[in-house]
Amino acid sequence: MTGLAGKSMDRKKHRIMMVSDFFYPNFGGVENHIYYLSQCLLKLGHKVVVVTHAYGNRSGVRYMTRGLKVYYVPWRPFVMQNSFPTLFPSLPIIRTILIRERITIVHGHQAFSTLCHEALMHSRTMGYRVVFTDHSLYGFSDAGSIHMNKVLQFTLADVSQAICVSHTSKENTVLRSGLPPEKVFVIPNAVDTAMFKPAVVQPSRSEIVIVVISRLVYRKGADLLVEVIPDVCRLHPNVRFIVGGDGPKRVRLEEMREKHSLQDRVEMLGAVPHAQVRSVLISGHIFLNSSLTEAFCIAILEAASCGLLTVSTRVGGVPEFWNAVLQGLIWIHFFAI
Amino acid sequence: MVKFSISKGRYTYTHDQKYPCENVDIHHIILKSCRANYVFVYTLAVLLLASALYLCILGGKSISIVYYSMLFDIFLVKLLLPKPVKKESVVIMPAFGVQLETHYMSGKIIRCFVPIDKILKPVLVECVTPVTCYWTLSLMIRGESEMVLVFKNLRPPVKMLVHVWKALCAATDIKEEALNTCTTYN
Repeated sequence: MTGLAGKSMDRKKHRIMMVSDFFYPNFGGVENHIYYLSQCLLKLGHKVVVVTHAYGNRSGVRYMTRGLKVYYVPWRPFVMQNSFPTLFPSLPIIRTILIRERITIVHGHQAFSTLCHEALMHSRTMGYRVVFTDHSLYGFSDAGSIHMNKVLQFTLADVSQAICVSHTSKENTVLRSGLPPEKVFVIPNAVDTAMFKPAVVQPSRSEIVIVVISRLVYRKGADLLVEVIPDVCRLHPNVRFIVGGDGPKRVRLEEMREKHSLQDRVEMLGAVPHAQVRSVLISGHIFLNSSLTEAFCIAILEAASCGLLTVSTRVGGVPEFWNAVLQGLIWIHFFAI
Repeated sequence: MVKFSISKGRYTYTHDQKYPCENVDIHHIILKSCRANYVFVYTLAVLLLASALYLCILGGKSISIVYYSMLFDIFLVKLLLPKPVKKESVVIMPAFGVQLETHYMSGKIIRCFVPIDKILKPVLVECVTPVTCYWTLSLMIRGESEMVLVFKNLRPPVKMLVHVWKALCAATDIKEEALNTCTTYN
């Protein structure tokens, strides 16, 4: 045991550069993944630097918890929080950061991030070891997907390793990028159960509260919610909805609320800070996920960790961890009784 | 009397104590002029003018092409050869303040004085631009939202900035201690 402990102590410490267009103050699954992964790596003694584009006035170097250094490079987002694809003009700043921070591994996140692709390409050109994590599922037939898949094939041609968050995501990434399957590892996402604990006092069962927390966009099935909520409210008078999150489809939900006079049955919270997500979850009994596509859906895990029953569309990587979620729920309810 | 000096690339740092009897500390960052830049830019300008003259005289084009090329040459020289800075100095007088000097090749000197009680803290800051990242030394000024750059035109390496920063910290700490002592006695 001492020998093993000694060996782990002597393991080489790396200097890792996480690069993605998606990081705080923008909020989402990819952003949380990068942050929590960085914190875990810092705890293990590695050095981590995050490179992303500037958000409004937030530009330059910032330091976060445990000395996580974040470079907000002053490039304006082009479309959907992505930097403008520049190809070679991004080489000087990427190279400068790689050299001054003495990086050993470059870790890119999210296939839709142009900054990630450019950083991976430049890093491999300079001989650095490169890892790529894909967080989402993408199509094959629409114009945007076809172009992005071509870019993916180019940038991932020489990547050292790739990580996907589910087996479905691995299949999708391998087919899109042409990577050999043996180079792709599946590492599912996890939640911090210390943060997402069931409520000490369960909410009253006199009415059933269904909680929905997601970005209100097409991809997350916001249009399905608009169709489903009035029917459920009509069939079950004791059901109430709490909808947290913001996005372009919020207007449709507000219109649905007005049209069916559901102001007292459907509560719209707007954008919910991540620190307050648990307090919203524990006020409900059921968590509803209506995504049209999900590589993993960490929201379901967070809800299950808080003791909620979960209802989800059967898409993407959701069925893979469904059994584990169900088993976990059974144990949570067993101990709660 | 030069106390200490280091050189790296085009920059040379010297720590001077010109007035040893008085408590004055002087730090210089000297930039080696790059003649190759001048040769390249002027050669380019001459080539452009020569091409314009050739097109005008032998090619039968209008004389206006020569005027436009001259204007473009002037613009190019102004853009690529900005006012050449010979050195930048920091004169630290702990009792009074800090004088920031910029010495140009032409002999012109621009001075900026910051009183010692206006300086909150000297800080080393990382600046990120779209193409590069570098260290600067700045002074945080009481009551002002903007910091004052100590070296406005030059970008010396951080190893040289650290010496100046330490000297500025020592000067501002002496002042703070004196202020605290006065407050205690009162």
